[in-house]
Amino acid sequence: MRLSSTTSSSAEEPSKSTVDPTEVSHFNALASSWWDPVGPSRLLHLMNPLRHNFISRCRSASPSASPTSNLRYLDIGCGGGIFAESAARLPHTASVTAIDPTPEVLKIAEAHKRRDPTLAAPGKLTYINTSIEDLSQPRMLEEGYDVVSLFEVLEHVNAPGPFLEHIVPHVKPGGWLVLSTIARTWTSWIVTNVMAEDVLGIVPKGTHDWGKYVNEAELRNWFYGKPGWGEMKTMGVIYVPGFGWKEVTGSEGWGNYFFAVRRVE
Amino acid sequence: MPPRIPLRAHQAIPPPAVRFRLRLQRRYASTSPSAPEIYDVVCVGGGPAGLSLLAGLKASPITNGLKVALIEGQDLQRNRLQKDANLDSFSNRCSSLTPASVKNLQEIGAWRHANTSRIQPYQEMQVWDGVSDARISFDWDTARSLGPRKPTQPTTIAYMIENVNTVSALLGRLEELGGVDIFSSTKVDSIELGKDTEQLDLSSWPVLSLSNGRSLAARLLVGADGANSPVRTFAGIPSRGFDYSRHGVVATLKLSGPGWGGPDHKIAYQRFLPSGPMAMLPMPGNFATLVWSTTPERAAKLKSLSSTDFVAMVNAGFRLSPTDLEYLHTLPSGQEEEVAWREQHTPVNERSIPVRVADVQAGTVASFPLRMRHADTYTGERVALVGDAAHTIHPLAGQGLNQGQGDAAALVRTISHAVETGQDIGSTLALESYNSARYAENNAMLGVCDKLHRLYSVESGPIVGLRSLGLRAVDAMGPLKGFFMNRAAGGA
Repeated sequence: MRLSSTTSSSAEEPSKSTVDPTEVSHFNALASSWWDPVGPSRLLHLMNPLRHNFISRCRSASPSASPTSNLRYLDIGCGGGIFAESAARLPHTASVTAIDPTPEVLKIAEAHKRRDPTLAAPGKLTYINTSIEDLSQPRMLEEGYDVVSLFEVLEHVNAPGPFLEHIVPHVKPGGWLVLSTIARTWTSWIVTNVMAEDVLGIVPKGTHDWGKYVNEAELRNWFYGKPGWGEMKTMGVIYVPGFGWKEVTGSEGWGNYFFAVRRVE
Repeated sequence: MPPRIPLRAHQAIPPPAVRFRLRLQRRYASTSPSAPEIYDVVCVGGGPAGLSLLAGLKASPITNGLKVALIEGQDLQRNRLQKDANLDSFSNRCSSLTPASVKNLQEIGAWRHANTSRIQPYQEMQVWDGVSDARISFDWDTARSLGPRKPTQPTTIAYMIENVNTVSALLGRLEELGGVDIFSSTKVDSIELGKDTEQLDLSSWPVLSLSNGRSLAARLLVGADGANSPVRTFAGIPSRGFDYSRHGVVATLKLSGPGWGGPDHKIAYQRFLPSGPMAMLPMPGNFATLVWSTTPERAAKLKSLSSTDFVAMVNAGFRLSPTDLEYLHTLPSGQEEEVAWREQHTPVNERSIPVRVADVQAGTVASFPLRMRHADTYTGERVALVGDAAHTIHPLAGQGLNQGQGDAAALVRTISHAVETGQDIGSTLALESYNSARYAENNAMLGVCDKLHRLYSVESGPIVGLRSLGLRAVDAMGPLKGFFMNRAAGGA
């Protein structure tokens, strides 16, 4: 198991970043086209509504009551702010903190935020140019976030286990860690590396390194071993050209998928 | 001097559609008099489509928190139906609302505000070819595809309603819901893009300067402002189409009886003449509304006639041959006697055509030019078009107002989904689903009505035979007719 083998290095060395410098320069180059609805980030834009559907589903399926207003979000690897902006616009949101290690995309995010008076309200949406390792951890459990999101990020980090160790303290008890990523299978290799980047060209070349992909079962196993975490949920999605993203039951085993886990105590 | 659109000037002359591109209008902080008021939705135009959109937004718990404004150049209160309006007179501007439109009006809570005594449902439609007399009749009993009609199935094809009644119902609902800033009797002086200031970058936001001195910035600007839509011009969206060189003559008619089916089974009639279709649609009691599309010359002639000659011409239109009608239009007056004489020599089955017109309501004979127009797209950045601003259709199938209602309902769904998922409702990405939901459907309807118009303009030759064969064949085949009727009813 790739994840469990790396968890031993854990959060004891917070200064050692899991951020891959080649990933930072790749996303720097993509920054200017981040908000172009027909540009290289189109697939991310199209996926964004599904993220909210998945979060709503997790929160409403939960046996114990979740708060329904004044939610605080932490979006890790926010990029140009596609998810962060949309979370900040929801009526039940108190605030969104969004972080990314790539300075150029955060500049884009800040500039785009000024285009919406709702987001420009003080304290609504805060961008910080940092990695999760350097973000100060909550001093008390209640200072954590109701929703910590990690969308299309896990497949870009070098060591997923230590990375997750840095993230979990930010989730408030009762809150959720929600992520989306791609399974590491031969189908995902063909779809994301060969088809999407080389053949169809709908994803910028060099976006994905298949070797970094994480499987859903690996995530499940990792969280099974973590006391205080449970209520895991998964949703597999497939991109169908011409129709957009579609939920396909079982596809979490071999394609793009959402994964959520709750901090139950 | 940056480009600026003086809107009122553009209403008078057809605008050079693509001259003012959104991008060209970017401007910067320098001459800022005062910051505009920020709105989520600003709807220009208080017709049935715009009002339906706003009522839909305010009626839904998902979207009723949006800050919305309506701007209408005319006095909305003056266009309302009088509460005590009697049933002895009807407006000449009526529409045939499909069950789908009515269902939507019910869902947004507007239908119960309508004056139901002034609405006439009809259960049957008779359509025939004026050259060959081939005929098709539509009613749900003969259109069934599988087994007999269940009692729960609808018998109503559509509902005839005065436009003023639809508008009044929607205004009544909006007043009940509240929460819409209504600027009535207010003109839009100009629309330009906002400024990029230190605090905010409104350079993608349309900012409207109103005749009352106010300035509104719109997250989403909705053009419900008619065929010459200033909003469409602002967005630089071209609209293509042509004039049919036909005019629609409308009038409110008083008939000699309630109709062949009695008061509970009303029938709509449409006869295709080479100059265009003429339709008589039932209104409550002995009333009916006329929509006669014909050449501009004949329309002018019809409007110039005395009421007795006009009535004679309408009766002749449903009875006499195209050749007779052509001659009758050349007479300066005296159509009444001429028609009476010619009818004696033209045997017709009276029960297959509308009952005789007895009178025409004074002041209701009017005409308007028929056009077909379709915008290249219904959306742009922070702009969406609904109703006639997006498309103008030949009135022969009575679909214009219904298409606008369909647009409004679809745009409410799109905005609602965007709000639920935190999208910027003015972004082109969020608006994509509205365009894809409506464009193809409206284009198909525009195409069908246009083709029908062309098909029936032919007076002789093999096409007359073929189209008659087609009409008779469709009439004989219940399931196919059911398909056409479902389309007309707005169903699947």
